[in-house]
Amino acid sequence: MRAPQSIKQEFLKKWILGLQLCDFAKQNMSMLERKKAIKLSADIAIASTRNGMTCWSRALVAKASRDYGDKVLVERMLASESEKLKKVSSIGLIAPNKWVIIRSKKILRKSRRARRVRSSVPQSVLAKSIAKKMVKKRTQVLKSLVPGGEFMDDISLIEETLDYIISLRAQVDVMQTLAKATDLLNERAKVQAQVGHLALAAESTASPTARLISDPSEAFFKQTRESPQVTRHQGHRSSS
Amino acid sequence: MEMGDKDKFELEKRSDNHINYHSPDSMPSDWRYSSANVANSSLGLVSTDNQMPVCRGDLVGVSSCSSASMVDSFSPGQWDHPTNSQNLGFCDISVQNNASTSNPMGIRKGGPASLRTGLDKTLDIGWNPPSSMLKGGIFLPTAPGVLPQSLSQFPEDSAFIERAARFSYFNGGNFSDMVNPFGIPESMDLYSKGGGMMQGPQEVFPGSGLKSLSVVQGQKNVMNMGDSSRDTSLSVEHVAIEGSPLKNEKKNGSLVRSHDEAKQGVGGSGNESEEAEFSGGGRQDKPSKLEGNGGELSAKSPASKKRKRNGQDADLDQAKGTQQSVEAAKDNPEVQQKGDENPTSTPIKATGKQCKLGSQASDPPKEEYIHVRARRGQATNSHSLAERVRREKISERMKFLQDLVPGCSKVTGKAVMLDEIINYVQSLQRQVEFLSMKLATVNPRLDFNTEGLLAKDILHSRAVSSSTLAFSAEVPMVYPPFNASQPGFIQASFPGMESHSDMLRRAINSQLTPMTGGFKETTQLPNAWDDELHNVVQMGYVTCAPQDSQDINGSLPPGHMKAEL
Repeated sequence: MRAPQSIKQEFLKKWILGLQLCDFAKQNMSMLERKKAIKLSADIAIASTRNGMTCWSRALVAKASRDYGDKVLVERMLASESEKLKKVSSIGLIAPNKWVIIRSKKILRKSRRARRVRSSVPQSVLAKSIAKKMVKKRTQVLKSLVPGGEFMDDISLIEETLDYIISLRAQVDVMQTLAKATDLLNERAKVQAQVGHLALAAESTASPTARLISDPSEAFFKQTRESPQVTRHQGHRSSS
Repeated sequence: MEMGDKDKFELEKRSDNHINYHSPDSMPSDWRYSSANVANSSLGLVSTDNQMPVCRGDLVGVSSCSSASMVDSFSPGQWDHPTNSQNLGFCDISVQNNASTSNPMGIRKGGPASLRTGLDKTLDIGWNPPSSMLKGGIFLPTAPGVLPQSLSQFPEDSAFIERAARFSYFNGGNFSDMVNPFGIPESMDLYSKGGGMMQGPQEVFPGSGLKSLSVVQGQKNVMNMGDSSRDTSLSVEHVAIEGSPLKNEKKNGSLVRSHDEAKQGVGGSGNESEEAEFSGGGRQDKPSKLEGNGGELSAKSPASKKRKRNGQDADLDQAKGTQQSVEAAKDNPEVQQKGDENPTSTPIKATGKQCKLGSQASDPPKEEYIHVRARRGQATNSHSLAERVRREKISERMKFLQDLVPGCSKVTGKAVMLDEIINYVQSLQRQVEFLSMKLATVNPRLDFNTEGLLAKDILHSRAVSSSTLAFSAEVPMVYPPFNASQPGFIQASFPGMESHSDMLRRAINSQLTPMTGGFKETTQLPNAWDDELHNVVQMGYVTCAPQDSQDINGSLPPGHMKAEL
């Protein structure tokens, strides 16, 4: 079993890489677009940690590659990855015949449901069939959740779910720490800005008359002392 | 059969049953006795006649769990006759002392279903020790050689085999748990349902010697053994097959009969006769081979198989003699080797799929398909066999999922477990969405400056800090030099960190100090981020000194994720 730490490290590495590739700074992105880009790079990163060994990782990459806009990013991110993933991104996950099989299975299932005969069966059999139905329903839901789950049989579905859960957990952990870290960074920046403008205020008070009169920014600064952002800028301006 | 023996066996059996079934505590002690006996004797473990070495090992542990519940329901009555005649051999002395004749009788009255379960339990128990022992490798290497001698010493253990078989049949669902410690995943798959099948019989038939024990262990151990493996495989198969609890009345009937027959078998050929019974005379090709080893075990396994077939058949009665038993034992290997070509060729082969007991000496190490042996009382239809294998695989994997998903330990049943799994996956996915949204808002420019992150991470999150540090260490990229700035920045932000943070600090200071300046600038000059971003990113990628990274990695906290497969 892979060590969770190594998963996280690998994921973080690849994710940061992907984020850089997104080239956020250059574009004017809305928040939603940013969020999509972040999520996409995170997904591709966590899928690439699997190196194409698992079905869900390949399915994830294939899904992302379907949209052309994302495909470029995906390909760039996977530039250094194994061949498997590259192939998946270019070819797609499932061969056409598999789709046919899946579709025919669905049709069969529907037809079976249609012509089900409600017969009186002994209690035990009834209970068993109900239990089976429940399990079947849930398996369907699980298949829809796990990427690429539609194409797996029950046994491999469970294995893929296992792996997927582990990777998801690593992804969530890393993202959480990153979010926390950025929060802290921002707070610290704010604090520093405030400290800076306080120092500035101290300076300005030292020579109040000249400063107040000559420097419009000071006046501005005094007025907007309450607003942290403004003060930050003030502080920055004064310090720089 | 001699009354003396019979009584002794009865006592033993009863005591075994009683001990095993009535209380887990008592059982272990009994088992201990038996195991002690077993241990004392050589591999043959035939210190006393009718003494079957019991593989202590897991027997106690496993059996107690499984047998306890089952014992009560198990009605040893059936066992009395056949088993008594055989050498249950547990520790005849100790067992006998502990045996309480009254209880078995009472239990005997129990319903057939309970009986079966009890048998299974005992089988589980019985099989356990051998498996454990086998695992230790003690028996495996020596069993084949030694067993024949020891087995010959054993008095007829047709009853033993039968009991073993029955136990395996009746074994409840503990098998997988019991088997797990043995670490034989394949067999687990096959026998997970059977639970302690293998173990039960082993315990039950300590007297059968290593061979039987190993056989009982079935799946794993059997495979390894050569000759003995064959027998064991036979028995294992039986066990596996029998493991599944039998709910039909039929089984009880057959059991009873098999007991009787086993008893009879005990007379002369002992093992062989049992085998003969069990194997149903299907394969009597190689009498000699199985005689020694297969004796009990093979008798058991074929018996179990046979029971499956013949049900209450009096075939067991057949004193086919060594040949039959041998054949039965031999059949196993053959069957296994054949794969699933002959689903119904022999009665023993209960199923189209054979359990591939790796121990089969002549079996090729790998086969493309999975051999499964039908358990006693189960349909031998290839479809149902495949179903069973599939179900066992699924349940085995669900167990892993139980460990992974928090709060699933008490949940039983596929539907509820799947529910939990679905909820968990959904919550994780939602968390990812939420976190990406949060990151999008918190970081308007999406410039994840790594050194800033590193500093923060170190302060507040060991995991991330270590990961980020490791990350930076692992990404060797050459970047243009960056602006120098206060080196003390990062240091200042590490108040009271743990030792590993010291290493981090070292690494950071050594390599990333220039970045701090960049970091500061970036945070303070959001407008000038294009260049800063690049700088920051590059700085983030600066590799730490190799030793630092190693130190950091070494000091990384243990994996955060507990679920590791």
